[in-house]
Amino acid sequence: MPEGSAPAPLQLAVGDRVVYPKQGVCRVTAIDVKEVAGQRLTLVILRREEDGAVVMVPEAKVVSIGVRKVATPEEVEQLYAFLRSDSDKADLDWKLRARTNQDRMTQGGILGLAEVVKGLQVLSELRPLPTKERELYDSARHLLVSEVAAALSTSECNAEDSIDLVLFPPGRERPKRTAEEFKLKGAGDDDLELDSDLLGLDGDLDLPADEEPAPAEEEEPEAEGEGAEGETEERAAEAPKKRGRPPKARSEAAADAAPKKRGRPPKARTEEPAAAPKKPGRPPKAKAAVAEDAAPKKRGRPPKAKAEPAKTSKKK
Amino acid sequence: MIRVVTLDPFDDKQLARFCQTLYTAFGVGCEHSGSVSVPAGLSEPLDAEPLLDKVEGVRAYQDDKLLYLTSRRLKDRQLPSGTAPTHGFARYGKDRAIISTHPHKDLEAGFKPVARHALHQLGHLWELHHCLDPRCSMYLPWTPSFPQGEHIFCTFCRDKSEQKIRLAKS
Repeated sequence: MPEGSAPAPLQLAVGDRVVYPKQGVCRVTAIDVKEVAGQRLTLVILRREEDGAVVMVPEAKVVSIGVRKVATPEEVEQLYAFLRSDSDKADLDWKLRARTNQDRMTQGGILGLAEVVKGLQVLSELRPLPTKERELYDSARHLLVSEVAAALSTSECNAEDSIDLVLFPPGRERPKRTAEEFKLKGAGDDDLELDSDLLGLDGDLDLPADEEPAPAEEEEPEAEGEGAEGETEERAAEAPKKRGRPPKARSEAAADAAPKKRGRPPKARTEEPAAAPKKPGRPPKAKAAVAEDAAPKKRGRPPKAKAEPAKTSKKK
Repeated sequence: MIRVVTLDPFDDKQLARFCQTLYTAFGVGCEHSGSVSVPAGLSEPLDAEPLLDKVEGVRAYQDDKLLYLTSRRLKDRQLPSGTAPTHGFARYGKDRAIISTHPHKDLEAGFKPVARHALHQLGHLWELHHCLDPRCSMYLPWTPSFPQGEHIFCTFCRDKSEQKIRLAKS
């Protein structure tokens, strides 16, 4: 559809099967005129086939929301052809990928759902999907399977197997992919931000560089009148106004010195490199020289001193 | 509750071990609920879809799941995108599924792959879709490595099945 043209109106009748984006296959149960907030609106009442949930959509907004008729068997054949083909690899930037997938889910039709499923399936061959993307994959798969089942008037298991027969042909294992396959042609190495992708960081911190010159903020309040404005414009043209704390002025000596390190400074080492390595535990007691020659120390109670027999003179 | 219904004779001890495995995997009770015969007019290889429609049921509660077990071969299904190898079939989100022990001699000889297929079909009954993790029982059943895997679920599929079981109970 060319850009700028109004979307074609969707003619709905009671009993039609339609697809509501992100909700699944619904059936039109009624088209009523109701008064809402003082306005008389024509509402299309849809009932989700999966669980019977009811959705009321203003008729004027049906197309803008993305409600569409269930795919035809010809569209399902095109879907199979797309899934069989070697499509473009998913973006490694998680933010871009999430935004693209959301757009495809809401406005992409059945092919949009297939793109989400195939993109995430190919990405899972590179590395396991994070939880959120795993849920998105499951949700997209569920919507795709239910729409294909409705389009072909078959059971959901058969619809799912028919999709998987194309994605994963029998007798073959899923291939292992490398990051090189996902690299865009002509792009630099910045695209392979695998670590940041996993951590959810994407270089959006926008930290100011340390080497940027201090902005001339102090001079701007003084500028008054056209001449002064002209001067400030010149200054602004030379150095654009920057926010935040200006960087500290570095001395030349500090610039030549070793880069500043964080943490506790190391202890000064004494010059005893040849000493024996430090041993843990209590140091041994110093032995006295006399004691070294004496008999080794014995444990226990010392023996009783033997009393010498008294020398008594025998009187005859 | 999971009710295992046999269409062919199986050893009681093997069936008890099979039920124990399903109980461990899903956390819901599992028992052998008897035997029924294959509906008339259906011969091997059995067509799974009409068999599930015509086969006799057993006494069960509304949220019970019936797993029919047969030793006969199931017919490969002709789908719009090709021929799907069929070791089992389930009514997605409903209450009936069937698996086959073919080509194994008996349940004991092919216990691991049969248990894995059983977990796969029962997972479909609890609205699980195919999984991307090769170690999970919801992985594609026609890949060469599927029969060698353990009869377990990945974290995602396990959480989802537990959630569905909790919702059914409430």
